[in-house]
Amino acid sequence: MYKLSISTSGSFISACLHEEKLVGSLIFQSDQGSTNLLLNEVDELLVKTNVDKRDLGAIYLDTGPGYYTGLRIGYSVAQGIGGTLGIPLVPVNGLDSLAFSAHTSHRKICAIVDIKRNEFAFCTYKPVPGGVVRETEPEILDTETLKLKFAEDVEKKLLVGNWDLISENDLPNDSNTKLADPKIVTAETIHAVGERIFQNNKYPNFNEIPINYMREPDISLSQTSLEKKVEFND
Amino acid sequence: MYKDKVILGFETSCDETAIAIMKDSKLLVNKISSQVDIHEKFGGVVPEVASRAHSEMIRNLFHTSLNEAQLELSDIDIVASTDGPGLVGSLVVGYNFAKSVAWSLDKLFLPVDHMVGHLSAPLIEYPQLEPPFLSLLVSGGHTQIVLVEEWGKYELLGTTIDDAAGEAFDKLSRYCGFGFPGGPAIQKISEGGDESKVPLPRPKPSGEFDYSFSGLKTAAVYYLQDLKKEDEVSRKDFAASYQEAIVDSLMGVFKKAVRETKVPTISGGGGVMANKRLREKLSTFAEEESKNIYIPSPALSTDNAAMICSAAQMNLTTKDLNINDVRLSSIIN
Ligand SMILES: [Zn+2]
Repeated sequence: MYKLSISTSGSFISACLHEEKLVGSLIFQSDQGSTNLLLNEVDELLVKTNVDKRDLGAIYLDTGPGYYTGLRIGYSVAQGIGGTLGIPLVPVNGLDSLAFSAHTSHRKICAIVDIKRNEFAFCTYKPVPGGVVRETEPEILDTETLKLKFAEDVEKKLLVGNWDLISENDLPNDSNTKLADPKIVTAETIHAVGERIFQNNKYPNFNEIPINYMREPDISLSQTSLEKKVEFND
Repeated sequence: MYKDKVILGFETSCDETAIAIMKDSKLLVNKISSQVDIHEKFGGVVPEVASRAHSEMIRNLFHTSLNEAQLELSDIDIVASTDGPGLVGSLVVGYNFAKSVAWSLDKLFLPVDHMVGHLSAPLIEYPQLEPPFLSLLVSGGHTQIVLVEEWGKYELLGTTIDDAAGEAFDKLSRYCGFGFPGGPAIQKISEGGDESKVPLPRPKPSGEFDYSFSGLKTAAVYYLQDLKKEDEVSRKDFAASYQEAIVDSLMGVFKKAVRETKVPTISGGGGVMANKRLREKLSTFAEEESKNIYIPSPALSTDNAAMICSAAQMNLTTKDLNINDVRLSSIIN
């Protein structure tokens, strides 16, 4: 049985295929014209590795946080494939996957994912034998707040994720902070967590998988200067 | 041509999540999960809200559609989806879902231009529709006169240089607090109103078959700003007058285009084509000029996926269009 892992939450579109071990992976930079790329990439991956889609047993999906359109592309493809092939869809939080990749560290782990407009999803983790546990709930912070948070925190810590998108002035510059890899969520970081969730049978039903937008939509619709009461005669 | 196939169509270019299934040229299911209630609160379509709603609805709508059609996944021969133009964030949901279903089933996937969908919508009810014909495509996103010389060969004769006709309805409706979407709201309020009560302009830009609606909107707003109780203009009089100005503008240019191109048949589509006054005037005109008229019923005029199935069964797919064709935006390639 093969497992397909997908990540489209950031500036890369990645997919990988595992059986017992990694069978193959592909990663592309995402850009304006890449709305169509993910499925082509999945197809290419299966062709290259000579795997029949009917031998797929599960899909591990990066459900965010991250870029909204990217997340919806991943979600649509995963729902389309999973629903049609009748295989489980395992949602994986991107922040968790970043922290898990660094779980052999002895420091506190701070995972950061860019959600654009100078805002970042942020969550801290404590390494435990064989994994990590969340110390905080994931939250959205702007660079200013993030800077303050780092300044207050004197613990030894490891930063993983999109810290490289934060300007150097806003990053902590002390001996307690280590900037580390992975810098991006990829299908492979997703797989590592997805595999555990899948093996433990701890994934939700198809209809109960939300995208982790972590934010209400911006509804500052151009209500123009209009909107006034007109005095009709009735 | 795929007339004897089972075609599954998706349309998510704006604020309607729509799925249809066609079998042997018959429409088995035509489902639309409207987001009107959601967008009503904001007085317009908020793209991010629309995209999220598509994403949440599409999978359930897909399964409901299959159940209602009493079909299994394996019965599907072809999957088709709108691939533009429209709101990118919304398009990617239906497009990627549809393509993934096709891929998983190893079936043919056909991308269809939204406007070509509207052009082929009349075929569902009027299979006798044959080119050449002239189509008036009017909605919140587009106002176009398209000459269909033959299936797959289109010429854009005219378009709006500013607002689309549906936008003209929406904006004024919001201004007056009539509701969203503006077209149906204004039509409802206009019932029994005097369409000649309020003098409003019928702007006409210089392009031979082009439209312009922003001047009308501005004139209407100026008029309302100066409106006093003693002018004795009721809501229904104003709504009727404003609707009449839009319909007159649409008809004026379209009539000229029909006369000059001498086409034997007229057609149309888009949300504004559900407007009663416009449909009446088009029918009267067709009768006067002895033209065939094939206008889809209101449910097939507004955005729907049945029209995507219709285009797909005629194999009117995006790849067959060349650069000068009616396709105005290629968002996904
Ligand atoms: Zn439309």
